[in-house]
Amino acid sequence: MYANPVAYVFSCIFVLIAHFAMLTNIWFNGNYTEVRDVAVLGAAVIILDIAYFAVILAFKQISYALDFLLILIIGMSVIFQSCFGKVGFDVKHYTTCIVCLAACKAGYMLCRDHKLLQDKKLYIYGAIGVMVLITLVFTSAENMWIEIGSFTLQPSEFIKPLFVLACATSIADQQKKHKILIFNVVYENIALFCIMAVICLVQVKSHDYGSLPTFLSIYAVGFLLRICYPKAKFSKKKLFGVIAVLVVFLLIGLKYAPDYVQHRLHVDIWSDKTGDGYQQSQALIGIANGGWFGVGPGKGFLVNVFAFDNDIVFATISEEWGLLYALMMVLAIIIIASVPLINPTRSYFHGSMSACVCAAFIVQMALNIFGSCNLIPFTGVTIPFISTGGSSLLVSGLMIGMLMAGQSPVFKEHKQKKQEDPEPAWRWKE
Amino acid sequence: MDSLNLILCAVAAAALDICILVLIITAYREKKSTKKNWHQVSNDMELAEQDKTYELGCDEVLIGRHASADIRLPDLSVSRYHAMLTVANGVWTIKDIGSKSGIFVNGELTRETILHENDMIKLGNRRLLFRKRRDPRVR
Repeated sequence: MYANPVAYVFSCIFVLIAHFAMLTNIWFNGNYTEVRDVAVLGAAVIILDIAYFAVILAFKQISYALDFLLILIIGMSVIFQSCFGKVGFDVKHYTTCIVCLAACKAGYMLCRDHKLLQDKKLYIYGAIGVMVLITLVFTSAENMWIEIGSFTLQPSEFIKPLFVLACATSIADQQKKHKILIFNVVYENIALFCIMAVICLVQVKSHDYGSLPTFLSIYAVGFLLRICYPKAKFSKKKLFGVIAVLVVFLLIGLKYAPDYVQHRLHVDIWSDKTGDGYQQSQALIGIANGGWFGVGPGKGFLVNVFAFDNDIVFATISEEWGLLYALMMVLAIIIIASVPLINPTRSYFHGSMSACVCAAFIVQMALNIFGSCNLIPFTGVTIPFISTGGSSLLVSGLMIGMLMAGQSPVFKEHKQKKQEDPEPAWRWKE
Repeated sequence: MDSLNLILCAVAAAALDICILVLIITAYREKKSTKKNWHQVSNDMELAEQDKTYELGCDEVLIGRHASADIRLPDLSVSRYHAMLTVANGVWTIKDIGSKSGIFVNGELTRETILHENDMIKLGNRRLLFRKRRDPRVR
């Protein structure tokens, strides 16, 4: 039984109130032809909330704060997506959100026992290899998706949680150093660097430059945590050396990037309003048009712009619901990422996994929002939980499940492994 | 948008804000129960020296002389990375991770052993008592 029943009841009530307040806003300010549209949407959101509140009790967790935050943001996502252009229940997004919630619980069950995952580390590397192969074989620079009937999947998205797991599982082996020539190396670090390099090459080949910063941020956080891990023995000189090498590679990459990337880096959106700057200029006009409280759900014009529901979703929400709502949506995602700071994890594995997941969420969100606002080049990545896209929502669900696993971990010993004892150089006699 | 609708919009935004605040409070409340759960998992144990106690707040606790160790014993007889304490199913195990002076539990040299309450651990010249956690307010 949950240790805080009062907190559970209050959290349920306030999540319902928040969603109800949004639905009331649609009722009075929304663009709809029949009241039934609002009623169906409202019923769907409230039923999903109540069903999730009941389901989470079946999972014996220590902490449920992330579950409440997740259902809050998922409900917001369903309401936002159903209102773009005109109020009407978006069945496809609703179904994807249910899949996201299921993926979240699957991620939690998978990652709560870190010793089990560390034993199965090779399977994680294998899964990354399979996903990289699928990306190479079935996708191309023109089409990054695999079409299965009416559904489309982006295989490169699924590499993200696997890469987070690879970063987290490698941290425990930092004390197992092997001598190669004159260097003391950790095999896991070399393996992780190679995986990172392969993923980056595949992303470059697929022309998916938007996902590159997310993978790099996951690796950077994993790398920094390995330095902090006891006995990593990584000196400041080496750290500065690595940063310098990265900066040099970045500058070379920018210098020799393809023409269309160079153009996107230096495009002036206002002088190229009908070309490469179209989406960003329209997004900025939409944000300005919406003001603090928006023009009303379903009354915006950004629905006529390509990728209004994923690439520039922040601007579409700002226009229809107002900048205040859009900022609160951002706040909710930041708080989801900050929960491990309030309630620290109890193992290095869960700590590094939570940090990598938070880095991925924050970088993805920053790329989308700052890209929409023309503060950085437009990349076309999604905002976790808010943008449409089955792969994105599924992966976001899995990753928040990993955060939940860090909050409610299991510490079990599965089998006694025969390990080699370290041989000291000499011993003092008692 | 007329003023009534504007107020309604602001109220809806405020409701969302309050909800987020309540969920943050919930997360803080859960911190206590998580700590309580950890005390159950770790069997509520701690390491004690003459005038110091060390909390075992993680499932892997590294003891050594180095600044990055979880329990730092600034003594030249203690190796930089001396021993690792791990917990599973409420049982704590101490393991030598390549120290020079070794680990003595109740006077016996060991490389890896399960710890019991009131075991005396000797790392170099430092002696640590593995005992039940005591409330600092109780003398």
